[in-house]
Amino acid sequence: MTTDHAPAFVAKRTGLVRFISTYGQEVVIAGAIIALFVLVSMVSPRFLSANNLNTIISGNAYIAVAAIGMSMIIITGHIDVSVGALIGVLATISGTLATAGYPVWIAWTLPILIGVGINAIVGALVAYGRIPSIVVTLGMLSILRGGLVSITGGAWINDLPPDFHLAQQRLLDIPIPIWFMVVLTVGAFLWMRHTAFGRSLFAIGGNIEAARASGIPVERRVVQVFMIHGAFAGLATVLFATQLRIIQSTVPPNLELTIITAAVIGGVSILGGTGTVIGSTLAAILFSAIGSAMIFINVSPYWLRAVIGVLILITVLIDMARRVREQRSAKR
Amino acid sequence: MLRTSLAVLAILSLSTSLVQAQSAWTGGDDLPTSPLACDGTPATPVAKPYDGGMTTNAPDRNGKPITVVDVPKLIGIGYFDATSKGIAEAAAELGNMTATTDGPTEANIDDQITLIDNYITKGVDGILFAANDPVAIAPVLKKALAAGINVVGYDANSEPDARQWFVNQAEFNGIAKSLIDSLVAETGADASFAIVTSTFTTPNQARWIAEMAAYAAACHPGLKWLETVEAQEDNILSFNQANTLINKYGDDLKGIVGMTSVATPAAADAVTQAGKCGSIAVVGLATPNAMKPYVASDCVKSVVLWNPVDLGYVAAHVLRAVADGTLKPGDTTVKAGKLGELSVINGSEILVGAPFVFNKGNIEGFDF
Amino acid sequence: MTWQKLLRHETILALLTVLALVVLASQSDKFFTLDNLLNQGRLMTEVGLIAVIMTFVIITGGIDLSVGSILGLVAVLLGVFWKNMGLPLPVAIGLGLMVGTLAGLINGLIITRFRVPPLIATLGTLALYRGIAEGISEARSVRGYPDWFFVLGQGQFWGVPVQLWILGVVTLVAAIILGTTVWGRGVYAVGHNETAARFSGLQADRIKLAIYAASGFAAALAAVIFVSRVSTTRSDMGTGIELDAITAVVLGGTSIFGGRGTIIGTILGLILIQALKNGLSLAGIKSDGTIVLIGAVLILTILLSNLFHRNGNR
Repeated sequence: MTTDHAPAFVAKRTGLVRFISTYGQEVVIAGAIIALFVLVSMVSPRFLSANNLNTIISGNAYIAVAAIGMSMIIITGHIDVSVGALIGVLATISGTLATAGYPVWIAWTLPILIGVGINAIVGALVAYGRIPSIVVTLGMLSILRGGLVSITGGAWINDLPPDFHLAQQRLLDIPIPIWFMVVLTVGAFLWMRHTAFGRSLFAIGGNIEAARASGIPVERRVVQVFMIHGAFAGLATVLFATQLRIIQSTVPPNLELTIITAAVIGGVSILGGTGTVIGSTLAAILFSAIGSAMIFINVSPYWLRAVIGVLILITVLIDMARRVREQRSAKR
Repeated sequence: MLRTSLAVLAILSLSTSLVQAQSAWTGGDDLPTSPLACDGTPATPVAKPYDGGMTTNAPDRNGKPITVVDVPKLIGIGYFDATSKGIAEAAAELGNMTATTDGPTEANIDDQITLIDNYITKGVDGILFAANDPVAIAPVLKKALAAGINVVGYDANSEPDARQWFVNQAEFNGIAKSLIDSLVAETGADASFAIVTSTFTTPNQARWIAEMAAYAAACHPGLKWLETVEAQEDNILSFNQANTLINKYGDDLKGIVGMTSVATPAAADAVTQAGKCGSIAVVGLATPNAMKPYVASDCVKSVVLWNPVDLGYVAAHVLRAVADGTLKPGDTTVKAGKLGELSVINGSEILVGAPFVFNKGNIEGFDF
Repeated sequence: MTWQKLLRHETILALLTVLALVVLASQSDKFFTLDNLLNQGRLMTEVGLIAVIMTFVIITGGIDLSVGSILGLVAVLLGVFWKNMGLPLPVAIGLGLMVGTLAGLINGLIITRFRVPPLIATLGTLALYRGIAEGISEARSVRGYPDWFFVLGQGQFWGVPVQLWILGVVTLVAAIILGTTVWGRGVYAVGHNETAARFSGLQADRIKLAIYAASGFAAALAAVIFVSRVSTTRSDMGTGIELDAITAVVLGGTSIFGGRGTIIGTILGLILIQALKNGLSLAGIKSDGTIVLIGAVLILTILLSNLFHRNGNR
């Protein structure tokens, strides 16, 4: 039913055309970001100020980081609706460790390991228990959300040590969250493209039986992908938890929807098999840029979400139009 | 076909983006306002007959042990953690009341209704609630009254006839005056400021914003409201929204008012990280624990709130008094343990006190 | 009939539900009373209506995440049509149902015409419809409906809550259509193998359009009942209801990959979740503990069911 990138005809083409047809969605989104920046800065030049770019990119880098792991999950043909709850739980663990006097590097890294551990269970239930991932993660969403409230009783964490705030630091005058986002995105992109492991994700998502026949240990890979996704959720948590001097020990509302939307709008096919993490990171930036732009051009806040909905649909429809045209010209 | 639909969507998006913010303060409701006098002269109380509801065939509970359930808007946030502490404290002090707190994990009207319904079936003697929506919660509360259960609200009211009494932490116009006065004290009377709230559909916040607009218009006409942004109950979103306001208005922005205990500390953090402490004032509603770092660093001068522990404490005492029959329609005062006599206002509300302003001098004395 | 057929998912689920009912009834004598059970039926109607149609959507291999937003949109419009435009309430209800159906139809068109995967299409309209609801309402609620309107959400008919009759009729019709008609078999065929279904002459797109429109209609009907039950409108009504509905459907054994599922399974799933929410609360377990248990039950039920179908009869 899908009109995916058909590699057979891509191979016959050259240069720019090939680039655009391989990275169509990324190009569309990058174009949308540039158009948005140009249009809004004409209305209000301050939109392009360094501070605002920092707010747009650095303030939402944790979404982009989490969307990298989510993209891998979706490319493999699965989904995770519990990631928002997981980040909430890990942030509380991180803050609790920091205030209990553990060195900050433990407070940063232990949640990543716990994220890997929790998602190893999720992955095992999906791969070996043969339960659809949406079912496992719907269940996990309930368990994590309820469990967090039961254990913390809702007390906030507010006496964090000063050196805990990694996300407020800068390296070479660029905020740490941006480093995280760029390095992890590029690293994950290259890893998925150039390693046998990375490529096997596309194979599993594209055609699981063919992948099995070609000797890929499908079950083990699925568990591993969920563990990697858990690590990215843990890395996102480091940025999320160290941004402010307070950690709210509740699950951030609708975070999983934002992360999934970034991944799928970024061109990761929900049917599995195609997509890149560059697209999901660009989509995360696009969303936060739209949110900021709406304030700058004085859109009535009552209509904010409607405008965002329209923009999402336009991005999707342009991409679909592009694919349809591509298919037609391929037939010719 | 494809192209035309794209064109339609593009036009739709353009037309919606042209819907500009209106001149009235966005985020306020349109109920009538009653701003206090500028110099703080207390308004003359208007005597109003009891307008609360009545239980049907409630058993005689005078002096008998009662079980009470407390259903806040949601559990898992510091504020309602504090109110349930107050309720537990009062229950321990009274000795003949067993109180448990149980609420939805998200501020969801339907989950709260379902939960109350379950407790009616289970059979409790009293229900304490903080409503997510004053009207939506009314049918289930009336059902509780009809089942002979004593019903007392706190923090967020319902329709008056759906509960017996409401414990009012501080009146809307009093909060509004405190917030605006604190803001003006720091920024001067001709400053521009913006508001960060949770969602426009939250009734208390909408009421405060409307009262702030009315009070500012009457007493500080030079004050300029720029805009109100929504940030859910999400501290990172609040932080990003506050940053965007700072970036957008630059030096024109002199103050940010946070309407929730989530938004205010996040706004203070945004101002701190932008290095604007001293040039952008942050005032707002917040719990003292969350604000201590910012008050200590002198970035925030004043935080407005009532004491939520006291609020829960009074709510439990009022429920006990109603169950005992010592608080009846028409009474003008009620005894609330260590807090002494409190007065009845607006027919069926008990006023805990005036809003309290926390500052560097007193904030360390509070732990909630 | 082999023993494996007997142990199909619905049977396991039915046994589990009975077990849950017995255990919960032993924990509280208030649980297994007619009043309480009927009242629980009242509370689960909105999710139930949406879940019944969601079963069709998921059987075709799709998903509809926008139902909660359609619910909010129709609730707001109901108030606007009636109060702000001064239309008679029955007309406003009719228009609201039409708008809901139209919103579902738009989902269907985006999915079938533009070949946008259902999850992406309805993620987009999830934001769009909620956004339109917020924009139109400007956070104002509409209240003060006439008394006759509350019959729908708060009244009774022959001792049974009015909305439970509606849910019953919708469920019955849906079960008959899905289980016994040619069209119903078409729904399974589309979900099982869409290309094959097309080649065998099925108009897959028409089937899907009808199903997404019906999903919008169900959300709109749920909106009317919800407004009647709580006597006010808000633009944030129905937030998150899509996940509750999907949970009930997948707990009921409908395969998220399409091609398999039944209405009876969905109803059992709904009953089990509602019974747990209510029964655990009556047994003194708080709501945070309850949702942890519901999550665990969801995972364990499907796991258990899979153990009996080791050969992947999913």
